Amino acid sequence: MVFLLDCLTTSALLFMVTSGLMMIFGVMRIINFAHGAILGIGGYAAYVATARGFGPGYGWALALLAGLAAGAVVERLVVRPLYKRPLDAILATWGLGIVIIQIIVMGFGRGVQFIDAPIHGSTIVLGVSYSAYRLFMLPVAAGTSALLFLLLNKTRFGTKTRAVIMNEELAASLGINSELIRFLSFCLGAVLGTLAGALISPLFSVDPYMGIAWLTSSFMLVMVSGYSFISLMLTCLVFGAAQVVISSFVNPVLGGMTIAVLAATTLRLRSKGFSRG
Amino acid sequence: MKLFLRSFTAATLLFCSFAGNAQAAGPIKIGVPVGLSGANSVIAPAVVQASELAVEEINAAGGILGRKVELVIADDGSGAVGAQKAFDSLIFKSKVDVVIGMETSAARNAALPIVSRGRVPYLYTSFYEGHSCNRWMYINGWVPEQQSASVVDYLMKTENAKTFFLVGSDYAFGRGVLEYTKKYIRQSGGTVIGEEYLPMDGNDWTAIISKIRSSAPDALISCTAGGAPNVSLGKQIKSAGLSMPYGNMAIDEGTAKSMGADASGMLFSSSYITTLDTPENKAFLAAMEKKFGSGMKTPNDLSVPQYDGIYLYKAAVEKAGSSEAEKVIAAMGQVSVKGPRGVIAIDPVNRHAALNMYLGQIQADGSLKIIETFENVQPGPQCLK
Repeated sequence: MVFLLDCLTTSALLFMVTSGLMMIFGVMRIINFAHGAILGIGGYAAYVATARGFGPGYGWALALLAGLAAGAVVERLVVRPLYKRPLDAILATWGLGIVIIQIIVMGFGRGVQFIDAPIHGSTIVLGVSYSAYRLFMLPVAAGTSALLFLLLNKTRFGTKTRAVIMNEELAASLGINSELIRFLSFCLGAVLGTLAGALISPLFSVDPYMGIAWLTSSFMLVMVSGYSFISLMLTCLVFGAAQVVISSFVNPVLGGMTIAVLAATTLRLRSKGFSRG
Repeated sequence: MKLFLRSFTAATLLFCSFAGNAQAAGPIKIGVPVGLSGANSVIAPAVVQASELAVEEINAAGGILGRKVELVIADDGSGAVGAQKAFDSLIFKSKVDVVIGMETSAARNAALPIVSRGRVPYLYTSFYEGHSCNRWMYINGWVPEQQSASVVDYLMKTENAKTFFLVGSDYAFGRGVLEYTKKYIRQSGGTVIGEEYLPMDGNDWTAIISKIRSSAPDALISCTAGGAPNVSLGKQIKSAGLSMPYGNMAIDEGTAKSMGADASGMLFSSSYITTLDTPENKAFLAAMEKKFGSGMKTPNDLSVPQYDGIYLYKAAVEKAGSSEAEKVIAAMGQVSVKGPRGVIAIDPVNRHAALNMYLGQIQADGSLKIIETFENVQPGPQCLK
């Protein structure tokens, strides 16, 4: 039972951390290597709010605002000129990640910061005692994926976004402002990133490099899952469970490599990964 | 002509002896390689401050053998390659008389050949996994033989623990300390029912925590990399609701205190804690506070050995009557200093020091309680052939 909860919560964490990267990759075909640093911004936003005595809700709100601001600035200054040069964009976002992390270091130092968790201790579910905050991540991840699904499939913005994803030139010729769609998607991706950073901060430590550990796994998950949030959810479930299985029954050191190895294997066998079509 | 030659010789002799004096009156240079950048940069400022205080005090009291002391700080980038550069530049460019400082084990091992080639005394001031030996090196930090025993003994006697689970980061220090801990638990009649490691930068302890839960040990002992991995493990243990006694071999007082409730109940063992009630420690803390004011970094188990180490070097030079490397190395094993941690003397053959170790427990309000003091704990055979 604990094992099942481990699988589910690990997948939920992976989904939260990866969804921002996915949003940006889906619409822009750009892998945002600054995503790790953006997670860090979220963690520090939560730290700043809670250190001043505000509740975690304010931390999440501040993370949202910080993500929006960071997304808007980065899109305009760094990413927009590089739309047609995705390889250069990888380099640019990689460098940007280093810059953001160094700014965090200058502002807060290299040390570990502490955030008081909004939910303490463990709770009893289905007869076992389990970390309450990890359980809390389950509805959060499910809610996020539901919201993203509705946004992309049931709203005007979603229709336009999907049009841009499918064929940008055609969409633009139909009067869709693809530049605006890109801008909004990038901001949304950054917000998802900072929110994830704020949400994972009570479970992990807040330090300038907190996001880096997640970057490789998120990148692999996005590569495998293609452009749909449904397939991302599926990928997170399968790979997250695989990671827990390997860590629990084989060796945690190998468990850390599971996602990367599985992703490479999956892409070798089926170049489209888990995406349909 | 003869007269001229004689006076020339005399003049030359006079000149030489004068030059000799001039050289002797030059400053003694102490090289401190430290991680001003990289992972150790969290701890480095405290180490630099302790060095600065020691040097200032020594100079104010007339220096060493009447010579002023000068500090040369070099950034080692917290890694092996950076340490090689730092040691190279300290020993061959700045021509320091001694190197005193903490390093990670990888960096120390990378730098030792440079120390041997440069033939300068090296005082290693970090706790570490043990058994590193070099003709030029003396060590005044603790090794697992001094630390593990106190934690294991307390867990077995006071908490009645019979079964232990060990968790660590996969690197020399984590493996080394837990290896010794495992041996010690078995010798003492306990059993190790689980031992798990994560990569050094690993933060997600989920699977390991589930294993701990299902094997239900009487006590838990961890030795992870400092900072993020250690803090995450503490938080995740608490949030998983695990409440068995927990000894953390790799936590420092400052981190434990700032973790607050997440660290409550955590046991740790160290050769220095700030609350030591000795005149030397009080004088040291007062001097630190006076010199650095609100910018003072909390002294810790790396910065205080640094402070001790500089005084040990002073004592060795004074005993040898010279800063010549061979003589200092010979004298280093015959001197002792009384510092904030108590009397420190390094064995000339074993090259490690007997230390007072303090077993502490973090209270729910983040304060620190000393449970037990172990005096004069021996490092065991380290460099004995």
